Order: sequence, then C-alpha cells, then structure tokens
Amino acid sequence: MRALTLHLKVLIFLLVTLGIAITAYQIFILGIPVTEDETDDLWNIDAKVEFQANPREPVKLQMYVPPLNQEFVSLNESFISNNYGVSINRADGNRRVTWSARRASGNQTLYYRLVLTKRYSGEQTKATGPIFRDSLPVEGAEKIAAEALLSPIRQHSADVETFISEAIKRVNNVNDDNVRLLLGGDSATANKARVIDLLLSIAHVPMERVHTVRLLSDVAQTPELWLRSFNGDKWLYFNPETGEQGLPQDRLVWWTGDEPLVSLEGGRNPQVTFTLNSSEMNAIRLAKLTDANTDADFLEYSLYGLPLQTQQTYQIMIMIPIGVLVILILRNLGGLQTLGTFTPVLIALAFRETQIGFGIILFTVITALGLSLRSYLEHLKLQMLPRLSVVLTFVVVLIAIISLFSHKLGLERGLSVSLFPMVILTMTIERLSITWEERGGGHAFKVAVGTLIAASLSFMLMNIPELTYFIFTFPAVLLIMVGFMLAMGRYRGYRLTELFRFKAFLKD
Amino acid sequence: MFGLIKTWKALEAKGIMGINRRNADYVLKYNKRNLYPIVDDKIITKERAIAAGIDVPEMYGVIETEKDIEKLKDIVKDHADFVVKPAQGAGGDGILVIADRFEGRYRTVSGKIITHDEIEHQISNILTGLYSLGGHRDRALIEYRVTPDPIFKSISYEGVPDIRIIVLMGYPVMAMLRLPTRQSGGKANLHQGAIGVGVDLATGITLRGTWLNNKITKHPDTTNAVDGVQLPNWDGFMTLAAGCYELCGLGYIGVDMVLDEEKGPLILELNARPGLNIQIANDCGLTHRAHAVETRLEELKAKGIKETPEERVKFAQELFGHVPPHA
Repeated sequence: MRALTLHLKVLIFLLVTLGIAITAYQIFILGIPVTEDETDDLWNIDAKVEFQANPREPVKLQMYVPPLNQEFVSLNESFISNNYGVSINRADGNRRVTWSARRASGNQTLYYRLVLTKRYSGEQTKATGPIFRDSLPVEGAEKIAAEALLSPIRQHSADVETFISEAIKRVNNVNDDNVRLLLGGDSATANKARVIDLLLSIAHVPMERVHTVRLLSDVAQTPELWLRSFNGDKWLYFNPETGEQGLPQDRLVWWTGDEPLVSLEGGRNPQVTFTLNSSEMNAIRLAKLTDANTDADFLEYSLYGLPLQTQQTYQIMIMIPIGVLVILILRNLGGLQTLGTFTPVLIALAFRETQIGFGIILFTVITALGLSLRSYLEHLKLQMLPRLSVVLTFVVVLIAIISLFSHKLGLERGLSVSLFPMVILTMTIERLSITWEERGGGHAFKVAVGTLIAASLSFMLMNIPELTYFIFTFPAVLLIMVGFMLAMGRYRGYRLTELFRFKAFLKD
Repeated sequence: MFGLIKTWKALEAKGIMGINRRNADYVLKYNKRNLYPIVDDKIITKERAIAAGIDVPEMYGVIETEKDIEKLKDIVKDHADFVVKPAQGAGGDGILVIADRFEGRYRTVSGKIITHDEIEHQISNILTGLYSLGGHRDRALIEYRVTPDPIFKSISYEGVPDIRIIVLMGYPVMAMLRLPTRQSGGKANLHQGAIGVGVDLATGITLRGTWLNNKITKHPDTTNAVDGVQLPNWDGFMTLAAGCYELCGLGYIGVDMVLDEEKGPLILELNARPGLNIQIANDCGLTHRAHAVETRLEELKAKGIKETPEERVKFAQELFGHVPPHA
C-alpha cells in the first residue's frame, strides 16, 4: 500500500511537471499567446519607386529590399510592376531586387510591398563579421587632424564598443577644430558617418553602414543611417548623430553597405517613398500565417495542424475532460447525486446545440412527459425493450411537435434539437424511470436536479471561449488535470453532503 | 464555512467513515474485483454458502430464460408462500414476496392480490435486467420465504427485519438490526425508510437507532422503544457473519442475515459496498474500529497466526462490545 502511494505520488508529480513544463515551453519559449484576444502588430510596408525612363533604351533598376534574417518575419512579399521582369539576388547579407524591361518610356512606377510581424522568428543565425581592417588612405592636414582626434578617444575608451561611441561623440562636437576640418563644413549625417569611418579605420576598427526604416505609421520617411561594428560575438549598432548604442526595436534593417538604395540604368530621377501602416491581427491566426513562411513549424504538431473542420470537433472534444472534472469534483468532493457518472457531461454537450436556457426547459418538459408516458406503459406490463422503443418514438414525436410549434411561433431555437440531444434525452428518461422505480420519486427528483445542476455547470465551464482556446492551444494542461484526477482517486475526506448527513453525531 | 470545518473536525475525531474513505481504504483495498460476482449474484452466494455448510433460505428454483418462466407453476406448486428475487438485484429492488394463495391468485405480504401473469411479468423484467446492477441480463431466484421470529413483532412493521454485520477481514466490527417501516414498504433498506438499530457486538442487545439520517429511540409505526431488546442466538449470528470471509474472500463486506422462526439465523446476502448509516445507528464511527482490526491483523501476521471465526468473534466482542447504555 505504501509503495503504491509512492508510485502514485511519483506519477502525479511526473504528469503535473510534464504538463507545466510543456505549457511553459509553449508560452515562454515558443511565445504562443495565452489568450485568443492577444493581437500582434502587422506591418504593411510599401516602397514606391518612381523614375523617368529614357526612351528607346532598356531599363534596369536595382533596389535593396530587407534581407529578412532579422527578428521580423515576413508574411507576404510582392513586387508589383507592369511589363517588368523581376529577379532577386542575395549578396553580402543584402537582398536586391532587379526590375528590368526592354522598352519603357515616360513616368514609371514600381511597387514593392512587404508584410511583416515581429513574432515567431525562427532560430537566429549566428552573426559573423570582420574584426579587423586596413586603414583608409589619408594625407596631410586631415591625417594630423584625425590623429589629434584619435588620441583622446583612445584614452577615454576601454574596448571596441566604448571606442566607437567615444569617436561618434567627438565627431558630433562641431566646435572642435579638427572635426570642422574633417567635415569640411558639411554636417550631414552621411558626411559624419564618413568621418567616423575614417577615424575607426585608422584604429583598424571595422565599421559598416546600416540603412534602416522605422516602423511608424503614416509618416513620410527616408532610410535612416546607422553604423554597426562586429565585436567578435555580435553586431553593435550605433546612431551616428548621438553615439547611442543599440538598434531600437522599431527599426528594420533595409540594407547594409555604402551603396545607395536604388541604382538605375536607362532612366533618371529615381525616387523612393516609403509608406508604412500597421494593422492588428489575432495572434494565433498570425502564427498560422507565419508558420507557412518560416521554419518555426511548432504549430504543425499542435492541434492547429489539423484541418479546420476537424479542429472544430476537437475544440469540443478537448473540453470534455473539463466537464468530467466538474462531475468528479461535484460528486466526490461535493457529494452531489447525479444520474450515472458521465450522463451530465453528455447532457452538457447536448446543451451546446440547444443553448442552456432553452436546453434546461426542453429537458425538463420532455423528460417529464416521457416519464409520465413510461409510468403509463408500466400499467400495460410491457417488456423492457418494447417499452424503451415506445418511449424513444414518443420522444421523437414530441421533439418534432416542439420544433414545429416553435417554428410557427417564430422561435428558431426549437429547431436546434438534433440527433444527439434526442438520443441523450431518451437515455435520460429511461435511466430516470429506472431510478424512480428503484428508489422512489423523491430520489429520482433529487438525482434529476443534481444532473441538471452538474450539466449546467459543466456546460458553462466547457463554453468559456478563453478556456477552450487555452486548452486547445496548450493541451498539456490536460496532463495537469489527470494529475489532479489521480490525486482525487485517493481522496479520503468527507464529501460536503456527508457533513450534513452525519450531523446527528454532533447533537449530543 | 467555519461551521463546516468544525463539523469536519468533529466527525473526524469521532472516526466517522465517509464514502471516499470507505471506497479508497476498504472497498478498493480489501475487495478484489474478480470476487464481486460471488456477492453480486445471490445464486452464486447461495451455492457457495450451501457448499460451506452455512445456513441460507432454501432455494426452490432458478429461472434463466423467458422459456423457463413456464416452469414457475411447477416450482411453486408445493409452496404456498415464496420469494421471487433478481439474482443480481441491488438494494432490495425487484423482490416479490408472496405470502399466500387466494382463489388461484397470489397475495403479497402487503395484502395486495396479484395474478400469475403479473408474477411472470415481474420475472420477465428481472430477466431483461431491469433490477440488476448495470442493466445486464439477470436470473430470477425463487426461494423460501423467511418468517421472522416473533421477537421483532413489537418493533417492526410488516416485512422481515434483518441483521447487518460489517465484517472486516473476518472480524465483525459493527452490527445493526434493520427494521422495516410503513414508509419503507416492508423493505429493510435504510434509504427506503427502514430503521437501523445498533446492536452491542458482545451481548446482542439493541442500542438506539437511526431513521433517515436522524437518531431515534422509538419505532415510528409501533412507538415501542427500539433499544434494550435482546436478540436471540446472538453468538450464532456473529460466527455466521465472521465465517463469510472464508466463504467469499472479500475483506470488507456487509453480511445480511435473518432470524427465521423455525430455522434460526440464515444468511440472506452479502454486500461488497455496505452503507455507512450503521455508524449513526451505533452512534460510533467505523474508522477507529477498522484501524483496531488492521493493527490486530498486522500483529498476527508478524506471529504467523491465523485465527478461526470463533476467535475473531471473541476478539471483536471484547474490543468493541459492552457499549455503555445511554443515560
């Protein structure tokens, strides 16, 4: 007995731990949303390219597009263009689209559209980059100015990271004569970046330009320049204006390197405008969409991998254990008497089709009529099977009549009685009448009320959409429930009703 | 809420056994599932008891199929009174007690006259499993009608009073006399309204009783006091009950017995899930007594001794008997 208890405890522990671990893994590692209402931002980015095509000349336009290896996941990507051939190639961690046409003339407009979201990115690839480079050639006064700037930077920095931010800070101090010389009167960001690049190159610190787009709705924007450097482990991003380190969450890297966004042959005045807008989307639907576009195929092996039709069935089925748990608690802890063990769960399932208020009325009316018919048949001294058949037929006729009347009265509810509730009704009537015969009317009434209470309670719990979603998405919760049920199997305490039943003992 | 916790604590202190404890610690632990048919099927119980030399009401016949129902006339032709029972019935349902014949018809104990066809219909119901646990096909048993000893006349209303003894591993732990009332329709089942009266294990003298979960001292129909009645042949009952452990192999049973006017103590049936109201009848919890028996069993097991039914009765009577009468 003691060994068995230990065995049971270990089993319960294992099940509960496993259930919690799987659920926690799903929530915290895979990032599956806990409620259905949780939404995610969905970004729609349109890049519109306009240019004048030279007449009688082939056109070739190349534009960088986001490399899609970041924390964002693309859900959809489209290249909208008339009469242009489209090809995409990758180089140096960038992606470039090439639009080409043999003949084009006048104003040309091309669109690139990207839909992306932040969630459900797959494993990040290991970042690699250069950690050493040669100095850029620099001569005369500029060389002296650069070296004059570098020595305090060296003094004030400890490593690559602090070195770069110190360099950026110095370059942004326009009152410094050396800086002014190097900038040559042009304090545009691009120029500052050039100077920073120069300074860093003398110190053999590699640096790369990063062009980013900010995820912000309805604001006209041009790509923002950032600098990044590889410290041997990961990329460090710097704002060339402020020296601020770290790329904000809302920046999307569009391309890296020194080249311009667009290069055009056979045309002039290329212009790119970015339009961004965000929409919200149900997180789990989003996850399903994402799933098709990434290698994060965890949903493949969840219940969401099933066909939609089957999913709906499972959403009902997976709630049955909840109903069973309710019955278990009501019976073993509460001491409520119900008709059979799981009949209440079946009735609760039938309530799904009839809705609860109408379901209770329907059940009460039909069961009462069925019972009175049965007691009438009792007088005829029929055998059990023929009597059951008569009751079943009667129930069918009764339901048909109720449906007909409610339809005529304009109550569509009455039509909701289908096959399943009918079978359960018949079964309930038969079992109730047996109880009536065995234990008397009072007991039968008590049991019927108990059954209705249990059925209503399980129905209400089984129909909480949040709960359905949660259990359907995290089926491992069922393991925790099994653990609880196992523990209940050894519960020795009193049932609530027993406290009243044995009250006589306390009356001394 | 606070009151409930207090009730809980008080009940626990008194050692009152609840359904969950009974199921987990006794029924599931001591009653092997495969032995249930022995007690669930009264025909098997009877056959076992006859083989073991234990007294049971005489079996007149068994009806197994609809075709067999024809044989009813033959089976009962020599007996003016008899009882029809479902072999696997529960809680006394489906039992028909015929007390006499009346102009080709039958008279039940309650005085109702019924026809032969009605008895056949009842048997047919029994065969289709209307009264059996789980609705399985069943057999009907026709047997000797017990005539209760007149000792019970003053404290009983119709029907046959019976004696229920809870036996744990062959040790009687608690006993109760069950008296039919007008409300129970002559049946001796407590949930149908019969009275349970506690019995002192050592002396066989009745204590106070329980009726519908309340404590009582008088029979509601006869208004005679139920306590202080000396049951005859008490040690016979106790030994009979203790011997039922060897008969069926189940460790936790309720043994139902009757006292027949002519044949003395007879075993009626065994119950693998005996009810808990016996505790109210005896004003005493089962848990402490059960623990005492379990301790005794462990001691004996350590010494390698096995006790006979008589020794077990003696142990139980010394430990649980001689309840001081109520003031």
